[in-house]
Amino acid sequence: MNTRSSHEPIIAMKNIEKHFGSVIALAGVSVDVFPGECHCLLGDNGAGKSTFIKTMSGVHKPTKGEIFFENRPMSFSDPRDAIAAGIATVHQHLAMIPLMSVSRNFFMGNEPVKKILGMPFFDHEHANAVTMEEMRKMGINLRGPDQAVGTLSGGERQTVAIARAVHFGAKVLILDEPTSALGVRQTANVLATIDKVRKQDIAVVFITHNVRHALAVGDRFTVLNRGKTLGTAQRGQITPEELQDMMAGGQEMVALEGSLGGTV
Amino acid sequence: MNKLAKLLAAALALVAMPHMVTTAAAEGEKYVLVSHAPDSDTWWNVIKNGIALAGEQMGVEVEYRNPPTGDIADMARIIEQAAASGPHGIITTLADFDVLKGPIQNAVASGVDVIIMNTGTAEQAREVGALMYVGQPEYDAGYAAGLRAKGDGIGSFLCVNHTIQQPSLVQRCQGFADGLGVELGDSMLDSGTDPGEVKNKVLAYLSANPSTEAILALGPVSADPTIAALKENGMAGDIYFGTFDLGDEIVKGIKEGIVKWGIDQQPFLQAYMPVVILSNYHRYGVLPGNNMNSGPGFVTNDGLTLVEEYAGEYR
Amino acid sequence: MSESTANPGVDERIKQQSRLQKALVRPELGGICGTIVVFALFLLFAGDSGMFNAQGVLNWSVVSAQFMIIAVGACLLMIAGEFDLSVGSMIGFSGMMIAIFTVSFGWPVWMAIIVTFIGCIAIGAINGFIVIRTGLPSFIVTLASLFILRGFTIYLPQLLERKTIIGGVRDAAQGDWLAVIFGGKILKGFFQWMGDVGIIGTFERGTQAGKPVVEGIPMLIVWAIVLVIIGHILLTRTRFGNWIFASGGDAESARNSGVPVNRVKILMFMTTAFCACVFATCQVMEFGSAGADRGLLKEFEAIIAVVIGGALLTGGYGSVIGAALGALIFGVVQQGLFFAGVESSLFRVFLGLILLFAVILNTYIRRMITGER
Repeated sequence: MNTRSSHEPIIAMKNIEKHFGSVIALAGVSVDVFPGECHCLLGDNGAGKSTFIKTMSGVHKPTKGEIFFENRPMSFSDPRDAIAAGIATVHQHLAMIPLMSVSRNFFMGNEPVKKILGMPFFDHEHANAVTMEEMRKMGINLRGPDQAVGTLSGGERQTVAIARAVHFGAKVLILDEPTSALGVRQTANVLATIDKVRKQDIAVVFITHNVRHALAVGDRFTVLNRGKTLGTAQRGQITPEELQDMMAGGQEMVALEGSLGGTV
Repeated sequence: MNKLAKLLAAALALVAMPHMVTTAAAEGEKYVLVSHAPDSDTWWNVIKNGIALAGEQMGVEVEYRNPPTGDIADMARIIEQAAASGPHGIITTLADFDVLKGPIQNAVASGVDVIIMNTGTAEQAREVGALMYVGQPEYDAGYAAGLRAKGDGIGSFLCVNHTIQQPSLVQRCQGFADGLGVELGDSMLDSGTDPGEVKNKVLAYLSANPSTEAILALGPVSADPTIAALKENGMAGDIYFGTFDLGDEIVKGIKEGIVKWGIDQQPFLQAYMPVVILSNYHRYGVLPGNNMNSGPGFVTNDGLTLVEEYAGEYR
Repeated sequence: MSESTANPGVDERIKQQSRLQKALVRPELGGICGTIVVFALFLLFAGDSGMFNAQGVLNWSVVSAQFMIIAVGACLLMIAGEFDLSVGSMIGFSGMMIAIFTVSFGWPVWMAIIVTFIGCIAIGAINGFIVIRTGLPSFIVTLASLFILRGFTIYLPQLLERKTIIGGVRDAAQGDWLAVIFGGKILKGFFQWMGDVGIIGTFERGTQAGKPVVEGIPMLIVWAIVLVIIGHILLTRTRFGNWIFASGGDAESARNSGVPVNRVKILMFMTTAFCACVFATCQVMEFGSAGADRGLLKEFEAIIAVVIGGALLTGGYGSVIGAALGALIFGVVQQGLFFAGVESSLFRVFLGLILLFAVILNTYIRRMITGER
């Protein structure tokens, strides 16, 4: 069913259930993610996407089900464990500080240190060089490493956040709706970045509710609806209309689209 | 940015200009008076008027300086500054001997003549190398007031202190207590300077200690709200009430019989005399042979006309 | 599709800056401009008033150095996103503690100083701890400490000595090794030489006749310079400095990136307390007494200096050098107005004007740097 069956999945979620009190947010979801693929997780608001990725990144513990990371059963006690293992999440809230320079943001919490007279100093030269290089790789030419993040566009900020995660050794990169607030051109830039990351053999989990964005870069597509998965589809095996129908839960959407005159 | 800088320059120049002109036009000696009072203390207006009048009459240039918040350490810097600007004389209070001793001695050593006014004692003035002391010894004034009250049959009192950090004000209360022959103890009230607070604290104290026989206020800042408090609780005219210093409200209070007496330290003299003395000293080399006690003078209901006319201005 | 949009970097709408512009546009720019304007004006209006002779220079340098010491702490704390309104009270309190320990308790001065420092830094830590734990604005928490500390500063000396000013520290500090570090003067020989050859004036009479009008550089100024340098290096050249910026810029984002925000903020409260304590110790050692009203309103003067220096009140942006320049401007204007012969009650008018212009100018500069809208 997938083209990379020779690989082992880097992360495998088996029959994950998550209950919040009497609310069942996830009712048995299974997803495999392989290195070097872009796995799109689609679903409407309230479908359980956020809960699912929070479970994957160690924020929530599953009520039932198992997580295998690099073939070993894993139980993350908090997000730090997940980050240490190589699962990085780029949230809509980017963990970027607009007033600070790109290079200071890039290394925030992981500052490179150089000893001068036995005293540890922030190694600005190294940080600046790495930042410029990583940004160039992602196709962003900064005015300088000291340019403030606040002067970057939304898409560029996403790219900085992604590049940062990749630089610090992410094996699985979870992108939570990275394109939801962006314009057309910015979106294209971010999608191009995703493509570059995938080519470095990193597994990308791309959460979105926009079918066209998903189809532009996705290798495989998993649709969540009301806490359940409706299966995983291969690229080329599914049309945008089918995906859209699955997300919306089928029949009502057909009627709606008829009255609106086309695919939403 | 350039525009802003120019604006700033223009604004600075605008405010500074008139003063620069007067500085340039004035003739004769230059004297600086440095006080310890914060900007909010209106009593010092009489001092400002006093030096201004003396400056006009003697044809000398006078300046008034004070630390905006009343911080004595800032005052030390102002004395250093005054000395550095090279005036002929500095007239200053000695609000904290330890702090001000060094700067004043340095000013004297660099050739500036100093007269101590208002706070301080004759001995301290001699020690810092000042020419003389003009003022009202605080403890003595309080003691004299205490003796007077004792003669009027008083045995207990409340001292309303609006600036408890000022040692000179504490000395007034202490002197009064010693004059009465009682312990100061809890009789001193830290009232703060806000009129509303002073009034309510006095009201609260008097209702908690109804047997209080007398009230001593330490200046208009504490006296004015105390008058209001006494009017409110009906003790006005009934309780024995004396105060240091004068002001519009105090003069009215004396007239209405609410305030028994005001201790006038005659601030006008403290400002006016040093300027006159320094000018004559620098011109003709003459200097009075002793310190000058500008107070205490007790102002009562008799002979209030002049006081009333000039209260807050020259009295 | 991805390949065709792969070169998004050059955006024709972002104006390219020249090298000069880049070198000029920095957080300290407002402070640098202000310093130049202020000195130019006073050279023009007060050049011959004694403001720029040895005594005059020492006078405004000392006042500026005082502001600098507290501005360094306030600046780092403000960049970390918090305020400390208890600085002024802390100055009064720590000075009073030193005086009480030495005069009332008879401790050696070095011990009094060390114990006071430990106590004050602990109070700073408590301030920080309460802010972090309760999540209350530091404005309110330190406002409470402002009153509590000032209250004790008035109450304790009255309780112990029945007065509000405790003197006699100078005599106790004679020959004390630690007191010299706060109240001493350096380069005395050099200034004596300058006095002897007539570069600077000498005292004309009294016991000091023949000595130079400036005896040496007070340790207060040395402390200010050292603190500014350390503060600047800490902020711009260390990993901890990055954490300070991050904590103030967006505490949540910083936490998500692994910055120990709480530790950073508490340490900055302790630094502010330390700076206030340095200020107080220098003052007590110089003047030999501690008063209950010392340090009144100094917290605002520190914040004003920091804001003139270009720091953002809401945190995450600023410069120690800028704050030091802000302190210099503040000190020079405050003393310079006296030299220029301006009516002293106008001081506040000038202060207000400078503050307003500085904030407007700094906002403009900051927008150029950070792309804030």
